[in-house]
Amino acid sequence: MPMTTDRNTRTQEQAEDVPLRVRGLVAGYGTRKILDGVDVEVPREEIRVILGGSGSGKSTFLRNVMGLEQPWAGSVELFGKPVDWSQGRPPDDSYKRIGVLFQAGALISSLTVEQNVALPLRIHNPGLSDALLRELAWIKLKQVRMEEAGDKMPGELSGGMRKRAGLARALATDPELLFCDEPSAGLDPVTSRSLDDLLLELRETLGITMVVITHELDSIKALADKVTYLSQGKIIFEGTLDEAAHGPQEVQDFLDRTPPDGDGKDEGVMAFNLED
Amino acid sequence: MPESMLKIPEAFTPDAVSKLDAEARGLLKRGEDVHLDGSGLTRLDSLGQAFLAALHADAEHQGKRLVVHGLQSEARERLKTIPDTLAEEKPPEPPPSLFESTGAGAYTLLREWRDIALLLSESLYYSTFGRRKSKTVLRGDTVTQMIRLGSTALPIVLLLSSLIGFTLALQSGLQLSKYGAAIFLADGIGISMITEIGPLMTAVILAGRSGSAITAELATMTVQEEVAALQSMAINPLQFLVLPRFWALTVTQPLLTIASALSGIVAGLLVGLLFFDLSVAAFMNQVQQAVRLEYIWQMLVKSVTFAWLIVLIASVKGLAVRGGADAVGRATTACVVTCIFSIVLFDALFSFIFYL
Ligand SMILES: Nc1ncnc2c1ncn2[C@@H]1O[C@H](COP(=O)(O)OP(=O)(O)OP(=O)(O)O)[C@@H](O)[C@H]1O
Ligand SMILES: [Mg+2]
Repeated sequence: MPMTTDRNTRTQEQAEDVPLRVRGLVAGYGTRKILDGVDVEVPREEIRVILGGSGSGKSTFLRNVMGLEQPWAGSVELFGKPVDWSQGRPPDDSYKRIGVLFQAGALISSLTVEQNVALPLRIHNPGLSDALLRELAWIKLKQVRMEEAGDKMPGELSGGMRKRAGLARALATDPELLFCDEPSAGLDPVTSRSLDDLLLELRETLGITMVVITHELDSIKALADKVTYLSQGKIIFEGTLDEAAHGPQEVQDFLDRTPPDGDGKDEGVMAFNLED
Repeated sequence: MPESMLKIPEAFTPDAVSKLDAEARGLLKRGEDVHLDGSGLTRLDSLGQAFLAALHADAEHQGKRLVVHGLQSEARERLKTIPDTLAEEKPPEPPPSLFESTGAGAYTLLREWRDIALLLSESLYYSTFGRRKSKTVLRGDTVTQMIRLGSTALPIVLLLSSLIGFTLALQSGLQLSKYGAAIFLADGIGISMITEIGPLMTAVILAGRSGSAITAELATMTVQEEVAALQSMAINPLQFLVLPRFWALTVTQPLLTIASALSGIVAGLLVGLLFFDLSVAAFMNQVQQAVRLEYIWQMLVKSVTFAWLIVLIASVKGLAVRGGADAVGRATTACVVTCIFSIVLFDALFSFIFYL
């Protein structure tokens, strides 16, 4: 199935200008609510960076938005089409135009790196020859500087390598909307920077819309058109980095290199009885 | 200064802490305040901090005082970094009542069997009417799985089945020869190997071998977000992961069952030849007369049913895993137990259907 879509109607085109629209998303695990009413709209060709402390629910947000987890309430629209959960899971074709880089890479452990990268294309286009798929995988791996590791199994890779291979796989289908969960965490500064450059270049050349989670200040500065800051299940700030400089204190602290004293929650210290 | 003062050693070694802890708690139990002499302490490390914090919280809880004497300034500073968190200890949740846990158990069981039924209907759908829909399986994966889950089990199936056939033939032969009817052991072996022992033995072996392998693999993939990654690539995990295994066992298990029954019969034949002076021709003739065609059908029906039970239970258990490595282990154990239980249960049901 070709990845291009037919955009005849005007309304469709308008809807497509916002590849991702989330309204009133409530989500959690078991009985524990993690996200409590999150609204996000990411227009075409924007790079949106999701920020928030560790455990604030950024990955949870991604999982729900991508339809890997069913939201408790609220709606998610991909390319103007609501993700339909009536079958107990979203229809497969809602994923056809998105690419995902998982936090830990999530390579299929029984396939080599190269087979992993070629997997989505191989599955959806049974007609493609093996030689062609190999070539394509090699190009994608080269983009993330992993060309020498194509024959390795995922178990033999380091964390950073797994992540880069995961990115290569996410890019293999030329997605229009790319989700990245911490693309540069665990990478050395040089690779990390080249990865940021790659993402920017992809946006320039292919017009990919991206939703990126990252903690790295340099990456945030390089990538973000706008940032969305999650805290305690809610969005407490949304805007450009310049605006963030005057945003809520928590956001300013996050973007400031020097963290404030303590961990935010003033807990008090134990009062011992001391005598000299 | 109180007379009973406990001396804090120079450093908080694990041994020293255990000793001091026991002494201090002894004091608290007798309802006395605890006085510690910290003058000799040079370094207050994490273990020391934890010890003091726990003791302090305990003393406060019992309305007693913990007083630390003569601390040097450095240790005093470190003491100030101990957060005051122990106080708000939550009471443990009461265990669910018998009523609740029975209900929860029944609910889980029902949901699991609903999932198994759903998986079966979907597997059959994608293998038949749904074939034309864009299929997301790897070429050749079914064959790979046939080899992994089926063929490699052949030696152990042959070995165990022939051992059982041997024992069974010997036991029944001994009884039958008392009446001079040793030839009838061919009937017994032929019928029981084909209708009961072959399918059951194979299923139990495959449940332990292939069922556990499927659960462990799928569970690990689920835990490592590989299944989520498949979905994100618009690859249906059911088609990609379950279908190849489903067909692999559906094809190999009946073949293995046939092999099992044959090896049992051959073992019986050997017993007849060696111990009861039967001839090959007489034995085989007797088997042919005893085994009706419908027994073969029963064997095939049973073996396919068992194969489906194994694959579906194993897949449901594997894909339902949440958590980490311990959850994978638990799911694998649960898979084997559930598989064997349901196999025996269905075997009983089949006896009911076939013979009544
Ligand atoms: N599968 C799960 N089951 C139960 N709770 C979970 C699960 N996954 C995450 N959580 C909980 O949800 C909360 C948010 O987790 P999440 O992974 O979304 O955080 P995050 O913002 O991505 O953090 P990080 O920056 O460390 O990756 C955490 O408190 C975590 O304990
Ligand atoms: Mg995360």
